[in-house]
Amino acid sequence: MKKKRGYQTKRHALVGYAFMAPWIVGFLLLTAWPFFNTFYLSFFNVQRTAAGWEQSFAGIGNYNTALLGNPYFVSNLIAFAVMQAAYAPAIIVISFMLALLLNREIKGRGVFRALFFLPVIVMSGPVMHQLMTSGGLTSVGIETMTLYYMVFQFAPWLANVLVFLFENYSVVLWFTGIPIILFISGLQKIDTGILEAARIDSASNWQILWKITVPILKPTILVGFILTVVQLAGYTLNPVLPMIHDAINETQAGLGLGSAYAWIYSAVVLILIGFVFVLLKEPRESNVQVKLRQRTWADRRR
Amino acid sequence: MRPMLSRLRRVNYVNLAVYIVLILISYQFMYPLLRMVSFALMSRDDVINPVVNWVPSSLSFGNFQTAWAVLDPRTTMWNSIWFSGLLAVSQTLVSATTGYALARFEFPFKKFWFFMIIISFIIPTPVILIPRTLMAFAVQDTSGIQMFGTIWPQTAMALGGQGVFSAILILIFYNFTKMIPAALDEAAAIDGASAMQTFYHVILKLSVTTLLVVFLFSFVWNWNETFVTSTFLGRGLDLIPGQLGRFSSLFDRFASMGGSGGAQEGGMEALRLTEAYRMSGTLIAITPLLVLYLVVQRQFIKGIENTGLTGL
Repeated sequence: MKKKRGYQTKRHALVGYAFMAPWIVGFLLLTAWPFFNTFYLSFFNVQRTAAGWEQSFAGIGNYNTALLGNPYFVSNLIAFAVMQAAYAPAIIVISFMLALLLNREIKGRGVFRALFFLPVIVMSGPVMHQLMTSGGLTSVGIETMTLYYMVFQFAPWLANVLVFLFENYSVVLWFTGIPIILFISGLQKIDTGILEAARIDSASNWQILWKITVPILKPTILVGFILTVVQLAGYTLNPVLPMIHDAINETQAGLGLGSAYAWIYSAVVLILIGFVFVLLKEPRESNVQVKLRQRTWADRRR
Repeated sequence: MRPMLSRLRRVNYVNLAVYIVLILISYQFMYPLLRMVSFALMSRDDVINPVVNWVPSSLSFGNFQTAWAVLDPRTTMWNSIWFSGLLAVSQTLVSATTGYALARFEFPFKKFWFFMIIISFIIPTPVILIPRTLMAFAVQDTSGIQMFGTIWPQTAMALGGQGVFSAILILIFYNFTKMIPAALDEAAAIDGASAMQTFYHVILKLSVTTLLVVFLFSFVWNWNETFVTSTFLGRGLDLIPGQLGRFSSLFDRFASMGGSGGAQEGGMEALRLTEAYRMSGTLIAITPLLVLYLVVQRQFIKGIENTGLTGL
């Protein structure tokens, strides 16, 4: 079905569009347009009156209120960014280690995998909220550990990050479900021939991990990372979401302020995702990959 | 060469260490769930008694009963099931057609739309929610049909492929469809089947398992979604996650109406009691999902494995 003559190709394309149509219409109407419209609205005062919606131009007034007027918004936004910066890397590192462990030939692998995936199914805002407020997510009291005092003596900020991570220890674990599965299936796609070749060249497991496994899985790590950032941004344990929700439902301040909140928040999320992307994307193919490809080509030619 | 025996023994030690690590981490994973179960089965005295930590001294379903009465799961659970089911069916249909179009057709700007699907996943929901509410208001004002507190806005979103994590569902379908040999489509086309017939008789009938996987994910994600739901559906239809979110206020009302529990104990004891009720309530709220997961656990994991997200 590659190249057909004029009419046929055109028809083919049209049928393709026909199948895409519901999504395209939905996307343009419910995602693309609202995305820009929110930006537009954030410069207006939008109020519900008896006659319908009333808009009046506010300039950057809403942004002023959000960033300077409301003391909670900025601090919540910072708390959100800190949460992302602390949780997302921790989630990725832990899921990668668990995937490595689960990639071994051990009995009961399926059971562990199923256990680790379970939170993906049951995790919702209210469930997390109930667990967190009932202390159901903290099983380790890190403040009582000697190690904590040692760290605290040297660097209080590091100690704070540690407390943050350990206080909601299970939260970190509960977000690992999908990345673990992604990493395992990535690991299983690695050509065992490469690993054997490396072993024959007397590479240690440690070297293989850093020189072969991690570079090959880098695209998967990127995807898992972005997925994690998006998921963390969507859960109610995130302090900014309730604020935006209130701003939408509260008629007093109007939807303009809510739009400004939403835009600033989204800018932060998108910057975080962009940062992850720049950090992990392949600038060019790494040396290992080039060599591997050359090798497999040479094999094929033989 | 190393003797076989010592080598075996070494491997076993490594595996033993791996098991210990995995079991410890599993404990951490399951800690909240175990805590829920243990609290739910404790009697009133056990909850208050600081010596009883994990294992109840006698089995009791009192906490369960209180939480059950507060949440009223008989109606809310059913609401959740049919509402999530409706959204899941809509979402599955749209991801199927979209995935099919992307997997089987060449059309201009295909790459662009593909990229837009990824973008639609990354854009945070709050930023598109306000114009969506304005649209719902506009429809409500011009046509007189009630929008807020009804199922229509979210059904429309699902049918437009803009529901919860629709992008992932489309990717699952896209990758599964690509695995079906194109020769089957061509054969059908030669026999005179239209694209719609090919889609229905070849693709859909061959991807019953895929449909199931996509449906299940969509069901679970719609079940757990609360941000959009609370804006559009609100209290129009009481769903179980929403009830759980309102547990504290519902419980206060329940207690003041003379139910068991409440404020006769002071301080720590009352705190621990409400904690036990809340944990039992949470357990009730997630039980349907747990049961579902027990039954179709394999499909869920397969679904994620085959999103093609591993390589993109």
